[in-house]
Amino acid sequence: MHRRGFLRFLLSVFSLTALGSFLYPISRFIAPPLASKFTSKLSIEKDLIPVGGAKEIVLGNTPAIIINVPDKGYVAVSRVCTHLGCLVQYDKKSKRLICPCHAGVFDLEGKVLSGPPPKPLETIPLKVEGGNLLIG
Amino acid sequence: MLQKIKEGIEIRFGLNSLVESKLKGYKIPKGTNIFYTLGIVAMFAYMVQAVTGYFLLMYYVPHTEHAFNSTQIIMNTVPYGWLVRMVHIVASSLMLIVLVLHLISIFIMGSYKKPREITWLAGGLLILVTLAFCLSGYLLPWSQRSYWATTIATNIPTALPVVGDLLANILKGGDSVTGITLNRFFALHVAFLPPIFLIIVGLHVFMVWRIGLSVPPYSNLKGFKANFNFMEEKSWTEYREADYKESYPFFPNFVLKEAFMITVFLAVTFFLISFMPTLFIPEAANTPADPFITPADIKPEWYFLAPYQLLKIIPNKFFGISIQIIFIGIFLFWPFIDSKGDRNILKRPLLLGLFIVMLLIWFVLTVWGRYS
Amino acid sequence: MRYILSVLLIFGLVCSASAGYRELFEREFLSKPWSFDRMEVSACIECHTSDTMSPELQKIPADWKNSWHFQNDISCHDCHGGDHEDASMSMSHQRGFFGSPEYADVPDFCGKCHIGILNNYLESGHGNALKITGTGPNCVTCHGAHNIQKASIDIIYGRRCTQCHSYERAKVIKQALFMTENRMNEIEKDLLRLKEAGVFAEEEKKTLFRTQAEFRTLFHTIDVALVNESTDRFTRSLGALDEKIKDNFKELLFRKRFSTFLMLVFIGMGVLISFLSKTYKD
Repeated sequence: MHRRGFLRFLLSVFSLTALGSFLYPISRFIAPPLASKFTSKLSIEKDLIPVGGAKEIVLGNTPAIIINVPDKGYVAVSRVCTHLGCLVQYDKKSKRLICPCHAGVFDLEGKVLSGPPPKPLETIPLKVEGGNLLIG
Repeated sequence: MLQKIKEGIEIRFGLNSLVESKLKGYKIPKGTNIFYTLGIVAMFAYMVQAVTGYFLLMYYVPHTEHAFNSTQIIMNTVPYGWLVRMVHIVASSLMLIVLVLHLISIFIMGSYKKPREITWLAGGLLILVTLAFCLSGYLLPWSQRSYWATTIATNIPTALPVVGDLLANILKGGDSVTGITLNRFFALHVAFLPPIFLIIVGLHVFMVWRIGLSVPPYSNLKGFKANFNFMEEKSWTEYREADYKESYPFFPNFVLKEAFMITVFLAVTFFLISFMPTLFIPEAANTPADPFITPADIKPEWYFLAPYQLLKIIPNKFFGISIQIIFIGIFLFWPFIDSKGDRNILKRPLLLGLFIVMLLIWFVLTVWGRYS
Repeated sequence: MRYILSVLLIFGLVCSASAGYRELFEREFLSKPWSFDRMEVSACIECHTSDTMSPELQKIPADWKNSWHFQNDISCHDCHGGDHEDASMSMSHQRGFFGSPEYADVPDFCGKCHIGILNNYLESGHGNALKITGTGPNCVTCHGAHNIQKASIDIIYGRRCTQCHSYERAKVIKQALFMTENRMNEIEKDLLRLKEAGVFAEEEKKTLFRTQAEFRTLFHTIDVALVNESTDRFTRSLGALDEKIKDNFKELLFRKRFSTFLMLVFIGMGVLISFLSKTYKD
């Protein structure tokens, strides 16, 4: 019965290895996500952006734009066009965001007005705190 | 120390007598082979699906705007999320393969005959419930393949007269596949089907345990390596404890066979995940759903290819679907139809031939559906 | 036997009674886009492929079918206007039809969609030549009218550019573009490999497209100094993209190794269990 005992010992080693190789991933899986991976923030002085003007920023990996919309206030949207990914440009005169690649036209809140883009531009949360804008 | 724990458990649970009578005392007839363990492997596969499913529930969002993104987050951002999802995908297809092998083994051994007809019926219902799990499950990622394969599948009931349209509408929650469909398929997959499955499987396992495993019928096979005495099962007229002329204990002998087959199942699962990770994820399954663009080559998942192909080649839609329903009816109630003959299928070449032909037809239809 | 016969009889009756379901079947199943090829509905194509057309006009649909526009679902009416579903209104001014543009109007015609490129072209030597002299290359000179292919550096070659001036200038700018173009093509191939491995790299694809579009739009200024200046910027962002893609491949390799390890553990367990079960006599 030595053989049986040895086999049982080996089997328990393998089983514990297998158990461990599931317990470790599962514990990482259910652990709360690291804050830095999911969000990034930016703070900008309000006065840098006059009414009707805009400022291009980069939030994390995403190019974005903050617009001071007349009569509506500050708005932050991603500049990545939802069609194929080109960066939209702010046209002050027509109050539109226009994509130079295939003429996708968005309004200042990101809604698609014409052209090939299938979805509106992603809005980025923006809070006004004192003299600063908190984006992200 | 260990001895004290054992004594403590014995006083409170009386485990020893349970182990003696139910595990070591429970007998398995001699001659059973590893195919007899396929039922337990299927049960294990279901447990794997349930566990991985529960973990996926932590991150999946059942809403058309977020479903696809949440699955991508599981695959790429959540630590080891890919492991949980890949196991869930691969084990779902493998579970069906194990179930089909289990079915073939039971059929060939004639273990559906009296007194095991209810066991077979419960098993047949279980395969249908599993297919419902698969259908509701693969809508959830809300990919192109999910959306369009479900559109096809939920249009099939329209072939039935009178109730067809109503049935299709209930399934879809409207006229076409939308967020409503996603919600009800999610509810089906996560809430309705599991207890139904567990109740039926409880009945199935209870019947197997109560009646006892069937003795292999190939007692007269020439050249079969028989160094022990097979026993023909006496015909059943009333319930009695299974009495085997020769048997061995369930624990540890049969349990080890079961454990072996479970490790084979797991090894195959991880082989597929390592070396063929895109086997069950074609391009259409990795593209977000777009109700306005139908991908060129949309096909349902492999287990639905045979009924799909059959429906395509039979011009009369009602005929096509009722042939399938009748076939399912015959399949479920087979033990009542075939109640007389010999259990040994080798003595019934006509039935064996018919069965093999049916399997071949199903296989050919599947491959044809894949490449048409 | 009797039962089987009676069931078959009932079945046959029901089937023949529901023979009318053929039309329903055709409507609900056969004509749906996912059962057969989608049927094209275009009044433009129908007329322009018929023999009533002159040969030059007849070959336009075939040219278009080979183009990158066709692959992206851009059809006749998207550029030329008109109603593509109604043959009587397919060339009606009321539906926005304006035929083929004059030579000097071509840039504005294509620039309806390709805004960024139009702006750069108008500032360039080529755009100025067209505006001032009425001759000079327009979009069609380099890209063709209907058989438009995906933009690549091979559009710049000897015979095309020497129609108006020496190839020297074209060669200089082609050299300036060369390395960056190569890198972008490599990254595109890598992204394809990632896709085949099952990774949905949408963000990286968009970043690559944006970089390619910006770079190629820049070329239309025909300003070698500008291209050289910007090459640094592009190299940096392409480098960052490359890093991300390499990270993806590393992650895929880790996953493969991890699951192979698990597979080996289970194979080992299986072997041990089968040895163990042999020690118990059956």
